Amino acid sequence: MSNTSEKNTSYIGKTPIRVDAYDKATGKGLYAADYTKFIPGLLHVRVLRSPVAHCQITKLDVTKAEAIPGVERIFTVERSPFHMERLPEQDRFPINGECIWAGQPIAIIAADTMEHAEDAMNAIELEYTQLPHVIDGFSAMGKNPVSIIDPASGKGDGVIDETNPWAKIGKGATLDSKFSGPNIVGNYILNKGNVEEAMAKADIVVEDSFYNDRRVHCQLERAVSICTYNSDDSITLYGSGCGVHGVIKSAMVNIFDLPETKVRSIQPYIGGSFGNRLNPYVEVLVAMISLFLKKSCMYEYTREEQFTGGPHAWPCLTRVKFGATKDGRVIAQDYDCVEEVGAIQNNISYTGRLSSSGAVCVYDIDNIYMDTAAVVTNLMPVGPYRGLGCPESEFGMECMMNVLADELGMSAVDVRKKNFIKNGGYNGYGEKVTSIGVEKCLEECAKKIDLDTPSVQDGSVWKKGKGCGCGGKQNTPLGRAESIVRYYSDSSVEVLISCDENGMGAMTVMAQIAASELQVPIEKVKVIKGDTVLTPFDNYSASSRTTYTTGNAVKIACAEVMDKLQEAAAREVGVHKSKVVIEGTKARILGSDIEYIELSTLFKNTSPYDQGNWGLMRFSPVEGHGLFCPAPIRSWGSDGLTSRMWNWFQYAACALEVAVNEETGQIKLVQVACSADTGNPINPKMVEGQIEGGVILAAGYDIQEGCTYDEKTGAVKNAGLVDYRVADMTFAPLQENFHSLINPDPLPDGPYGAKGMAESITIGIGPAIAEGVYKAVGVRPTKFPMTAEYILGLIKEKKAKEAQK
Amino acid sequence: MSILDRSIVVSFEVNGKPVELITAPNRTLVEVLREDLGLTGVKQGCDDSNCGVCTVIMDGKAVKSCCVLIGQAEGTKITTIEGLEGENGLHPIQQAFIDHFAIQCGYCTPGMILSAKALLDENPNATEEDIREALHGNICRCTGYKKIVEAIEAARDEINAQA
Amino acid sequence: MKMKFEKYFRPATLDEALKLVQEYGADCKIVAGGTDVVIRLRSQMLKVQTIVDISAIPELKEVKVTEDKAVIGAALDLMTLSKLPELKNSQWAIIAECAGHVSSTQVRNRATMGGNNVNASPSADTTPGLLISDAVVNVIGPDGARDIAINEFFTGPGKTVLKQGEIVVSFTLPAQDDRCEAAYKKFSIRGDTDIAIVNVGVRLGLNEDGTVKKARVALGGVAPTSMRAVAVEEYLVGKTITEDVIEEAATIARDSIKPISDQRASAEYRKEMVYVYVKHMIREAVAKIG
Repeated sequence: MSNTSEKNTSYIGKTPIRVDAYDKATGKGLYAADYTKFIPGLLHVRVLRSPVAHCQITKLDVTKAEAIPGVERIFTVERSPFHMERLPEQDRFPINGECIWAGQPIAIIAADTMEHAEDAMNAIELEYTQLPHVIDGFSAMGKNPVSIIDPASGKGDGVIDETNPWAKIGKGATLDSKFSGPNIVGNYILNKGNVEEAMAKADIVVEDSFYNDRRVHCQLERAVSICTYNSDDSITLYGSGCGVHGVIKSAMVNIFDLPETKVRSIQPYIGGSFGNRLNPYVEVLVAMISLFLKKSCMYEYTREEQFTGGPHAWPCLTRVKFGATKDGRVIAQDYDCVEEVGAIQNNISYTGRLSSSGAVCVYDIDNIYMDTAAVVTNLMPVGPYRGLGCPESEFGMECMMNVLADELGMSAVDVRKKNFIKNGGYNGYGEKVTSIGVEKCLEECAKKIDLDTPSVQDGSVWKKGKGCGCGGKQNTPLGRAESIVRYYSDSSVEVLISCDENGMGAMTVMAQIAASELQVPIEKVKVIKGDTVLTPFDNYSASSRTTYTTGNAVKIACAEVMDKLQEAAAREVGVHKSKVVIEGTKARILGSDIEYIELSTLFKNTSPYDQGNWGLMRFSPVEGHGLFCPAPIRSWGSDGLTSRMWNWFQYAACALEVAVNEETGQIKLVQVACSADTGNPINPKMVEGQIEGGVILAAGYDIQEGCTYDEKTGAVKNAGLVDYRVADMTFAPLQENFHSLINPDPLPDGPYGAKGMAESITIGIGPAIAEGVYKAVGVRPTKFPMTAEYILGLIKEKKAKEAQK
Repeated sequence: MSILDRSIVVSFEVNGKPVELITAPNRTLVEVLREDLGLTGVKQGCDDSNCGVCTVIMDGKAVKSCCVLIGQAEGTKITTIEGLEGENGLHPIQQAFIDHFAIQCGYCTPGMILSAKALLDENPNATEEDIREALHGNICRCTGYKKIVEAIEAARDEINAQA
Repeated sequence: MKMKFEKYFRPATLDEALKLVQEYGADCKIVAGGTDVVIRLRSQMLKVQTIVDISAIPELKEVKVTEDKAVIGAALDLMTLSKLPELKNSQWAIIAECAGHVSSTQVRNRATMGGNNVNASPSADTTPGLLISDAVVNVIGPDGARDIAINEFFTGPGKTVLKQGEIVVSFTLPAQDDRCEAAYKKFSIRGDTDIAIVNVGVRLGLNEDGTVKKARVALGGVAPTSMRAVAVEEYLVGKTITEDVIEEAATIARDSIKPISDQRASAEYRKEMVYVYVKHMIREAVAKIG
């Protein structure tokens, strides 16, 4: 036996390789669609969707389609025995034959082969009369929009589901908002101090309006779910969806009134999510078919359907007005924010509060008035996307910080430093901020690219400019996480968790935590994840919560294991467990002539001579259970203030240099430095990966991604990866010009001081690019994507104005 | 190749082993690799050959197996991700992807690795520019590409050091 | 979606292929690389019963480059073509350059010159190269062989003058004058991965005195087919290339087109990009002549 003590085995802040890397590098890791090879006789599903944004169905006849051999069943809302109004927003069927977005499901087909399902889809007789649609937030917002979207709420005077505790947050709240048209479905107002008075006292006032286009997550694995119907009338789902307990199982139970024991949800590896999979839009459809037909089936979205039938990221229409002193202290923030949420029916989630959370968490401003709302349109119902509205809501905030700096002749870093919330200070809601590393992040990024030194021009049509931006993002205290940790006689460890592994490295983080807590080599830790009959409850991985919530749960479970091991060793020697120190695979005993015991010797053999009702036994691991839940939030009044609206906040900053082609309007990333305040990072290499991925994802949608729409039909025109321009490898800056930095401010309640980080990365990129563009060619973008065409338009506008002078 | 009434007989080589199968002709190579041969390391991600996750190596060249008809595989030699791990362990590119954290969700990984292999087989001294040119048909939504390029450069150097 | 065809043939000779396309008539589609046809079969935009795969016919993959002409087999993959030394070092180097801008590596490894042109996409990358090189499409059909000038080949998006049963065998590139050079720009947002917003090809031949002897200007993405900008060509002939002349040529190019707005770009932006890149391509061609 080796004498090397493993008591210093800590993997925190280290970079062990990912526990899932081998599976993924060899193709051996299974994703949901790969399970079809194990499950024979699956029915295939297709969905007929509305081709236009708003129409009245005049004929819907499935007779011929259902007569096609192999077609098992076609559901329409009229032909379904289920509570169709309970389906997730993305799956709501037309009410009274009125389709309210292009892509809305009209009929679901289940057939023995994909071919037959497709033939049936084409054979359904559908006729409709097109109705006027609104496909942008601006047109939807007014008092008399051409289309009033929500049929479920009686066209704007809706009935609220009072049994839903969230319902009162949104619609029905009696707030004195400037946003109140029939398509406004929720409001939130924050009123702190006295903005009017402060604005009057300001030395300088800057103001502008901003917006952005709709985007789609474009995670590479499309939505897929397989549902098997089992002999005990239960169902088992294998899918790419997130939240095996908190999203998928709970949806099945709630929508189909199933006993909790009749649903099993299993999550294999997932090919990315970015928020897209937090609505069970594909799972409920396969479950519906399985439950009705008592057969197994699968449904895999086409890439086009990810645009027409999967959630979009919502745009924000914002107006930002700052009043500041001449030395750069912002004393008043007057802010509007409207979330354009698509054809959401009977809204209970969206009020503007989610997005606008970004506008009050970075800067310490005494007087704030925020008037926010959610507006519905005839577009795809939205869902969360990395940042939950903050990259959208903070775009204008950060752009205006840059404007303020330029107007005052100050550096963009200095202006921000004058205004950052400090650790121990309070944010706009009145919440105490216990971890904020944004200042260090910004300083380091600025230093890395020498932000205050103007770009060197090379005389070409590519003009260069630098800019910066920051971002803060709340962590929504979403429910709880549990973990089971099992310690075996050979000191190998199983960690059972139900958080999602979208690719961010959650499994590796949990392995690092368990290995560190239990002082075992990480190779001895096996992470088992995502099976509702095996792994304990977890809501889902969202809001960058996993390291924090599930991480805490694993840590707590490990502590219970350690306690049990201490007790077992203590009993063996006859001391109190407080006198036992676990050191790797040994227990050190204080106050006894026995100094050390090998933990393995505490486990009895499974023989009739050794057996008993007490003590540890081989193959029967010591088990610890961990449960962690953030503290509950506190409700707020009509001023929107509260001492606890969210949980902690993650921060990031970015400084970058762009080149703008003055002839074409194209923007290229020349160099990028981006830094995250992660709290103490558990695995810095994985944090870097999140930073780099976040930068390119955000820069991609800041510059070139966005849905375009056919004005006549209201349908997405670029529904595919041909013309929806996801960033490719050539989009990234060259290796030597792409810097990811980590500047932590430890979170007191995070595991080892860690917190989540992957969302805030995306916030500062857009404003930094916009400022870079300004420095390069003298125009200020106020929307994203900052497409080549848009930028060229601004340049031409500027030239025309200059020519007039 | 035999042409039957509604089927064709296709012979080719996959990961060094001969394959002969009778199939309906209206199938793509990726469908056959996944459904008939169980090679699920080959992924599918789009409808329009833009994502690159179905990339395999066909006669030494990286191709998107979603737009190769199964009949066109006749007589070819195909390598999928399953064929890269040898008796001596992982291919250096696979190892580099692991060591350099070039993998997140993993869905693009098989295609990335195969595109990189086809590149390095043809051009053992591929530069960063060469890598960007050869791999821009492989989309990754997670990593921002930096660690992928880093891994390929490391694998290139490793392979050259071994040679 | 599921492809719908029922029969697939992979003839080894051109004769066999001709017989097959004749036998199956309108219900048959020729495929070579498949990078476009397979996608359209899968989306069911293309519904035929029979596929004739010409990618195994050796003579369709031949390339012959001599002093007085180059002949490029229709089924040669664009990657090979883009890297072919004898083409890259020839008076038709522009063809290799165009081929090197078609989509990604994986697509170029399969896609062919024949497919890229027979598809008759108005944004095809190799077409402007052929147009400014006065290429000839060599076709064989039930009535024998015929040659079609490339500028008479396209009739609309996805449409050509090819008749039922005809197969494109190769493209012939005639000899170019001395002091004649070409330049090509694919303008797109993501680089080669994207379908071009516009593409611009320019070939200029200069007299000894520096005046333009011959001009070819081809534009893609701005009309139902790739097109020659004849008005620009006519304007340029006889001129000495100055910045003013370049400006005027670009203006004529911009004003002579009526592009559409679509998901890729607006009509206005396309016109503007034609204006910008006609200028650059003229300058580049002149610079190459030296």
